[in-house]
Amino acid sequence: MRFTISREKLQEGLAAVASAVPSKTTLPVLANLLVQTTEKGIRISGTDLDIAVSTEVIADVEAAGAITIPARKLSEIARELPPAPVKISAAGDQRITLECGRSKFKLLGLPKSEFPSFPAVKFEKALRIPSGDLQKLISHTAFAASTEESRPILNGVLWELRPEHMRMVATNGHRLAKMDVPVKTASGPSSDLIIPPKALEQIRRLFPAEEELEVAQGENHLGFRSPFTAVYTRLIEGPYPSYDQVIPRDNDKYAIIDKVALTGALKRMSVVASDQTHRIRLSFNSGMLKFSVSTPDLGEAQDELPVRYNGDPLDIGFNAAYLLEILRYLPTEEIRLTFKAPERAATIEPEGWSDSAKYLCLLMPLRLVD
Amino acid sequence: MVNTELRTVAILPPAVADQIAAGEVVERPASVVKELVENAFDAGATGVDVTITEGGRATIRVSDDGIGMARADATLAVERHATSKIRLASDLVGVASFGFRGEALPAIGSVSRLEIETATVDGSGTRVRVAGGTLESVADAARRRGTTVTVDALFYNTPARQKFLRGTRSEWRVIADVITAMALARPDVRITVSHDGREAFALPPAASLRERVAALWGVDTADALVAVDDVSGPVRVCGLVQRPADVGLSSRRVLLTVNGRAIRDTGIVRAAEAAYRSTIPAGIRPSLFLAVTLPAGDVDVNVHPAKAEVRFRDRWNTERAVERAVRRSLGTEESAAAFGFAHRTFMPPTFESGATMDVAALSSAPIPETPLFETDERDSEPDVAAPPAAAEIQVPPLMQLRNTWLLFERDDALVLIDQHSAHERILYEQFMRTLDRGEAPSQRLLFPMTLHLAPAEAEAFEDNRELFVRLGFEVEGFGGHTLLVNSVPMPHPRFDAERCLRDTLATLSGDRFGSGLAKHERLAATVACKAAVKAGDSLAPAEMRALYIALARTTLPAHDVHGRSTIVQVSWDELERRFGRR
Repeated sequence: MRFTISREKLQEGLAAVASAVPSKTTLPVLANLLVQTTEKGIRISGTDLDIAVSTEVIADVEAAGAITIPARKLSEIARELPPAPVKISAAGDQRITLECGRSKFKLLGLPKSEFPSFPAVKFEKALRIPSGDLQKLISHTAFAASTEESRPILNGVLWELRPEHMRMVATNGHRLAKMDVPVKTASGPSSDLIIPPKALEQIRRLFPAEEELEVAQGENHLGFRSPFTAVYTRLIEGPYPSYDQVIPRDNDKYAIIDKVALTGALKRMSVVASDQTHRIRLSFNSGMLKFSVSTPDLGEAQDELPVRYNGDPLDIGFNAAYLLEILRYLPTEEIRLTFKAPERAATIEPEGWSDSAKYLCLLMPLRLVD
Repeated sequence: MVNTELRTVAILPPAVADQIAAGEVVERPASVVKELVENAFDAGATGVDVTITEGGRATIRVSDDGIGMARADATLAVERHATSKIRLASDLVGVASFGFRGEALPAIGSVSRLEIETATVDGSGTRVRVAGGTLESVADAARRRGTTVTVDALFYNTPARQKFLRGTRSEWRVIADVITAMALARPDVRITVSHDGREAFALPPAASLRERVAALWGVDTADALVAVDDVSGPVRVCGLVQRPADVGLSSRRVLLTVNGRAIRDTGIVRAAEAAYRSTIPAGIRPSLFLAVTLPAGDVDVNVHPAKAEVRFRDRWNTERAVERAVRRSLGTEESAAAFGFAHRTFMPPTFESGATMDVAALSSAPIPETPLFETDERDSEPDVAAPPAAAEIQVPPLMQLRNTWLLFERDDALVLIDQHSAHERILYEQFMRTLDRGEAPSQRLLFPMTLHLAPAEAEAFEDNRELFVRLGFEVEGFGGHTLLVNSVPMPHPRFDAERCLRDTLATLSGDRFGSGLAKHERLAATVACKAAVKAGDSLAPAEMRALYIALARTTLPAHDVHGRSTIVQVSWDELERRFGRR
């Protein structure tokens, strides 16, 4: 195998794939990148067995072949190379020579045969989805997924594909984020997929918004593909909890609140809130929202914020950290908070959002003790 | 037939009365030693020399350098109820001397050959001889200031008593115990004891109890003890107690003094042991050397013939003071388990009192990893400001070993913290506060948890239902053996409520016999154990710091709820020794 590639193209390809390489692994070959020659150049691939990323960059191929190269060392070398074409060649199964200007490196790789094969995903019946829509769904919902190991199903993000719309939902059992976007070109049957957030982050990062992606499902995997780049991920199996039943439909009280002002007040209150629960009391009165927090052994604080609210006075407790996190993802200046009772779920939605997407966050309250 | 004429009531002759009294005061040679050494202490002796032969059956000689007695006093001293220590019945209230009844010498004299040599100034003294209760001679004797009492042939005139004496070794063992107790009660007095010509004790005057303990059992034993010094109300409690980690490793030694008098009191000892609750396994008992000081009027010492017991006017408060004092001392870092031996210089008479850590809420670990979906346009500053460092605890650089221990260095030692034990301790105290206050932060769940329980687990839940609710578990719809959990506590970000509840119920249902803890303590301990991070959990640096701070704020940082050590330290001295640098 022998090819010549520009320093920039090599760096570009490595940047895309390097984050898929696990930092710690028991399988030595996973610390390597698979480099294969293609018709137009080379394909660089990396995987941690859960997620695989592969990208093709233009290169001048002299002799076809494939080898695995230590990912960390190759990236470090590429970063320090002088601005000159890079010549990479492989002799036998393991020996790699890299030349650039007057610099010359010899590295030891591993045979290509040791690199795990990519999941079998057939793209013939692939769905075509605008990358921009996918990015929007991912960036508004994936944050809410659980990081606890106890319920693996909640570690994933549910992606519902329907003829007219697609939806992503993520929750950790305390809060939930859900977004719908309409599908312009109806294609394919309905399906429900549960995807690890790490894979979604790769997808959001690697595919430009204007591209159209091909999405195809293998036996237990999902593949995303653009002309140059592909991401494969393991799917999380199992039924996702029936989240729709817990989204309240009868919340009869609502408040319209300025997002920046609310964020400020919550951050102030958080200073004195309990480290474990970040519990803050919100007291809604006509036209006014009062905040209060009291933590034994620490102190207490109060704040006030004028809001649009006409319902009966009501006190409700929240984890301020959860509420603040949700506020960060809301796209509008004002938010709509709906609720019914101190022990029932509250919803937070963007207020006055002129977008075809529908966004809703849900937050379970904390028990208040009087 | 019984001759009824002999059955008239008669006052007993003094000699017989003395022998009867001797039965109470002089039980065996050890009681003679105790009475005589106490007399020496009362005489203001700075040194006491005791000579014993044949376990005290042949000879007991106690010499002191105290104030001595004039001839008239010495003669009178062998009469019953002759004492220099009190004058009026009212003097009995708050009596500070060891003796006060004037019983000891006549009682001893009535059952032995007694010789008293005494002098108030060096040179001219008095020798008084008594045999079987009869004054035999009073003569001049040349000796230095002080008193020597020699008791020969104990019980020679009461064959019944003599028969009940044990062998030499066993009587000697009892004497040694008595002397040990008195040596600990008065560390400032030099004491030497020889038995059958061999030196058994040679205790130099000591500046502190720790020093005396070192002289008796070695520096290692003394160093492994934690100082107690606490005052609550009129009661002062000081002394030395065993580190929880060492309890059960060596034979147990208990010394209790009240106003300087060595006594037995199960109530006080139980109170001190109660302070160890949750730091040592049930069933093993700590060594204790405690001196309780309280106003003389608050304690009656005249309730036991051998003065081995006292009566407290306010027993409950005294016991509480003892428990509190011991508990506070166990809260110090000094009480952490040591690896090897710390070579500490002797303590000054006033015991060091370790820094008592503040009790504060657990500062739980912030979310460890950098958020995955952090993008440029969003502000990356943390949402919730870091908790203000209330007590300003300095956290040293911490390192996690084998995902199990946190390692850090201190001025005097290399220190290891067991992460699970530490977290367990933190959560235990947090849960106990929660149970006391009834204020549990509780997160409502979007998807209520359903738990199907075994019958024993369901029973365990019902038994503790109210406590679970106070901890923050809101449970409803108990149909059959199924629980529906609507809310759970959130003691830390990694908390897995379902597993914790399941494991807790499994443990509670398996543990039929309880552990000597109160129900709520047992529940708090069990939940803390199940909720804590486990050995093998990798901790982020911020989590390690939070754990350290929270541990420092607990009342008993060095011990977990099962009595295992949370902290183990290797002193630099020990390390240097192992590397051959010393």
